[in-house]
Amino acid sequence: MRKILMIVDASNKEDFDRLVIHRMPGALPFAGKYRLIDFPLSLAKHANITNVAIFPYGNYRSLGDHVGSGKRWDLDRRKDGLFILPPKHFHLPTENMLTFQRMFEHIEFFRRSSQDYVFLTQANIVWNLDIQTYVEQHHDSGADISEIMHENLRLKTFILKRETLLDLLEIYDQLPTQTMNEYVAKTASHTVKILNYPHYTRYITDNFNYLKANLAMLDFENGRQVFDLERPILSKEKPAPPARYLTDALVDNAMIASGCVINGTVKHSIIGRDVTIAKGAVVKNSILMNNTVIESGVVVHHAILDKGTVVKQNTFIEGTLSDPFVSQKEQVITLQTHLSVLFVAAESTPFVKTGGLGDVINDLSRNLVKSGVSVTVMMPYYGFLKEKIAEVAQRFASHSFVFDEVMHKINLYQTDHKGVRYVFVESFYYFDEGPIYQDSDCDRFAFFNQAVVETVSSLDEFSVIHCHDWHTGLIPLLLKKAHNPTPTLFTVHNVDYQGECLGGVCQRLVEPNASHENVVNFLELGLTHATKIATVSPTYREELKYEYYGKNLASLFIQRERDFHGILNGISSRHDPHTDKLIHANYDRHSFAKKALNKRYLQKLCDLSVDADAFVMGMVGRLTEQKGFSIILAMLERFLSTHDKAQFVLLGTGDETIKARLQTLESKFPKRMKLFLTFDGTLPNYIYAGADVFVMPSRVEPCGLAQLIAMRYGTVPIVRQTGGLNDTVINYDPISRRGTGFSFFNYDAPSLAATCDEAYTLFTEDKPTFEALALRAMKEDFGLLKQANRMIDLYYLTRSEV
Amino acid sequence: MKETIAMVLVGGRGTRLEAMTQRTAKPAVPFLSKYRLIDFVLSNITNSGLDTVGILTQYEPQGLMNYIQRGATWDLDVREGGIQFMTPYLSNEGEQFQKGTADAIKQHYYFIEQHQPDWVLVTSGDHVYKMDYRPLIDQAKDHNVDVLIAAFQPRDALSRYGVLAFDAARRLTHFEEKPTHPQGDHASMGVYVFKTSALKALLFDEQSQGIDFGHDILPLAIEKQLHIEVYPFSGYFRDVGTIESYYEATMELLDHPEWIDLYDYQEAPLYSRSYDLPPHHIASPYPIRKSMIGDGSLIMGRVEHSVIAHQVLLKDNSFVIDSIVFPSVTVGENAVLRNVIVLDHTVILPNTKLVYDRPTLIDNERLWALFGGHDA
Repeated sequence: MRKILMIVDASNKEDFDRLVIHRMPGALPFAGKYRLIDFPLSLAKHANITNVAIFPYGNYRSLGDHVGSGKRWDLDRRKDGLFILPPKHFHLPTENMLTFQRMFEHIEFFRRSSQDYVFLTQANIVWNLDIQTYVEQHHDSGADISEIMHENLRLKTFILKRETLLDLLEIYDQLPTQTMNEYVAKTASHTVKILNYPHYTRYITDNFNYLKANLAMLDFENGRQVFDLERPILSKEKPAPPARYLTDALVDNAMIASGCVINGTVKHSIIGRDVTIAKGAVVKNSILMNNTVIESGVVVHHAILDKGTVVKQNTFIEGTLSDPFVSQKEQVITLQTHLSVLFVAAESTPFVKTGGLGDVINDLSRNLVKSGVSVTVMMPYYGFLKEKIAEVAQRFASHSFVFDEVMHKINLYQTDHKGVRYVFVESFYYFDEGPIYQDSDCDRFAFFNQAVVETVSSLDEFSVIHCHDWHTGLIPLLLKKAHNPTPTLFTVHNVDYQGECLGGVCQRLVEPNASHENVVNFLELGLTHATKIATVSPTYREELKYEYYGKNLASLFIQRERDFHGILNGISSRHDPHTDKLIHANYDRHSFAKKALNKRYLQKLCDLSVDADAFVMGMVGRLTEQKGFSIILAMLERFLSTHDKAQFVLLGTGDETIKARLQTLESKFPKRMKLFLTFDGTLPNYIYAGADVFVMPSRVEPCGLAQLIAMRYGTVPIVRQTGGLNDTVINYDPISRRGTGFSFFNYDAPSLAATCDEAYTLFTEDKPTFEALALRAMKEDFGLLKQANRMIDLYYLTRSEV
Repeated sequence: MKETIAMVLVGGRGTRLEAMTQRTAKPAVPFLSKYRLIDFVLSNITNSGLDTVGILTQYEPQGLMNYIQRGATWDLDVREGGIQFMTPYLSNEGEQFQKGTADAIKQHYYFIEQHQPDWVLVTSGDHVYKMDYRPLIDQAKDHNVDVLIAAFQPRDALSRYGVLAFDAARRLTHFEEKPTHPQGDHASMGVYVFKTSALKALLFDEQSQGIDFGHDILPLAIEKQLHIEVYPFSGYFRDVGTIESYYEATMELLDHPEWIDLYDYQEAPLYSRSYDLPPHHIASPYPIRKSMIGDGSLIMGRVEHSVIAHQVLLKDNSFVIDSIVFPSVTVGENAVLRNVIVLDHTVILPNTKLVYDRPTLIDNERLWALFGGHDA
């Protein structure tokens, strides 16, 4: 019997979206009555481990409440016992694993412990591993560090001597890697051995894995490997009475916890404690957490219903195994009647486009319509737009209202574009002259917001008003003032533009009784007053809570956390190398070899040396600091000098200093580097199709579109782990050889250089693995329908709040 | 020092429950799938804010002690007070086998002396009811009574009980143990609150035998004209002393769980020892109707109007109707069970038919006797 110290890493949020608003992944319920944290703690008990430290992240109240003093696992000891070691500083979750630095913050704990071995594991793995056996194997193998894997899956679980870990922690700031997961993949100073655990194992990191692992317990063979009577999984018990079945219950393959009252049909599902299922309801392939109420006539397929969800009569809920429907805690889901949504934005393609927002409005609205939602888009009728659409836009109404003590008249025009109704607000005074964005923007858009509020009820009875960016920021507040109860969803696409002005008409509009001049911040008011708020990726949602990203609004994002959602933007199916007429040779996953033709073409076009073995790095984007140019410029010269097969192609316009510095470099590397410093609409496709890797080391990237296009084209992305980049690119892992690209966290040139070097090395030394990476990237689904479906869930959630 | 302590009498042998109590004390008999009879009184005690409990036991105490342990299940593992078992012991005066309910308390009176309470709550460990004892104790305190008797209105024959009558001020006017002609409509629940001084005086009175509360102590209190009051209890109360009443109580609570409010357990939960089992698994699409099933059971058969405990295995196409199945029972393929109470760890072989008109106990011995070791 070895003496072992257990470290439970509960420091990351994984990818659960709304399931983890109220709890960390470790506190997620499992198989009806357990929590995921019960697994590591029960394994500890069966291995006679009496010293356990849990490193939590974020909201660990639920976890702390569940584990208590650890009595259930015999961890309430005089010596050692159970410790929850919170972060000393707010950290962004990095590398999705507990960092050495995070452990170093509690170095005293590691020093004071007396055990010889450390078993470092995750809070969210479902398995029933015998730790003692594996520590013994580790000891016998003579390796410094052992990693436990299941088949080809890394489980972020390691065995090592406590002294070895202490040595690493003492020099955490000198290590090139931040986590054990990375360290093991790259270390030269320690010997690493992989130990395989052959029995049922699932590392639960997202809704799909969560549903899948739960349903897997309904299979005897899996269930037996996890729920071993000799080694029971121990949990905190609640005094619920036995489950009761009434006259009309029909159950086929389900686990049903105590306290339930079942009178409907349940198939292939996990039912938590105190769930009520009424007569005539059907629940299939789903997880129902504690206290869910299913009323009569309800149908639920492939759903994860969080605690206390109430599904009202005759409601139909349907998800898929890979993308289950997920409710929010205590959500009331009513019959999903027709949704009618009003989009309000400053621009939308094909009418107006200045940046990415216009595309998002157009793409999302079209795809919502495809999913059966009625969408109206409302935007100003800019003067320059009039000639363009005068023939199709029909004037259908006029309104008059007082704005800043003056009576204004507006005309409404409408047209239909691919099933979406567009309504344009015409005001001779505010929108007839000049470009979309001007100096007096606050006043102009305040007027537009007021116009929307004045006319909205004459347009339709909307289920939700979806406001986009600061230009629509006053709408939620003005609706409240007008006693209009329509719920609002406010999406922030970029927090850099907030719409601020001092006093004046805007202030008179929002706080008429103020005694002195105040700053009116459109974005802040939108975020404060909207029913729900959202942004364009889950990671950006997290980042905005930190001042570095969220700026002056960080505390507001924290405050509104429970109403704040991150939904990843999708990309249109027109980005497809199989049908793209602009590229040299069309290809798809099955004719991937043809990508080489595009590479050759690109090299010719750019006057680079034509070399099939060259490592072509592509970049498309604005030349701004935000896109990562400060670190690119700091490493590119050296990288090209030391990697003679590397070539670099860039398309973009922007900052003059960056331009100049890039041009200096270009002259130093003829035949290896090519810049296109004007915008040419056809060129990006050649780059997407012809490059081997796509570089996008942004400092900030709310969602990012270019990396998604690159992945569609089988161009392996090299990105920084921020915003949407972090949500869409899975970092290549050299041990399991999985991933869809390369990524790094620290915003500095050495990290970027090391990551490019890693990609370069894999490309030159192991082509098949590199190609597998590209093929996996192509397979990822970032479609618009997926985004639209998430958005529909959020509309229902927004509507249910009223 | 505690203001009120509880004394739980669990000495009864429960012979009328036949094999059910052969190896275990009556209060440790499983009830309603996941519970044991003792859970009711211990949960009542802890839900009433009491934390000092003496458990007086003499018959097969090991099973019960093993189940209760230090009382952690009921939050009774506190530093001061908690649970203390009082079993018969040998002393200089010879073996102290308890002769009756009151005699048991008399023998262990040191426990009461030790805590010096003002009030002593006396209850039995084998009754099914959910009750908050606080109003009862409050009435005793407010009216400064010597003896307070909790009473209920039975649905069955009054003559089985200690029948009592009381006036508008709840003063006891009449009491008779198991009368042939009952005078009154209430029966004693065997739940009393005694002022400690009155209890001591009654137990150690030289004229009294002091063996049984109903037969000796109450008549003595009446004779001494002590201040005796009644507390009428309107909730569900049942003494499950026989196979029939056990079966009836189970089935009526299966049909009406709201009678003891099982499904709203936030305020006053009914606690029961946990066995760390996963939820039960219903693996085959047979109907499960009007039934209750405990954790860790694997159901591949049909269940109708039955109570299934934990860790029960119903194999393919078995059929259980109008029955009660205790923990760790295995029912073989195609077996049919009707109107039976299957005791724990019984193994029923495939194709066995156990169909009865009235509730019948089944255990391995009974099966052996019925089928003589041959496969049915």
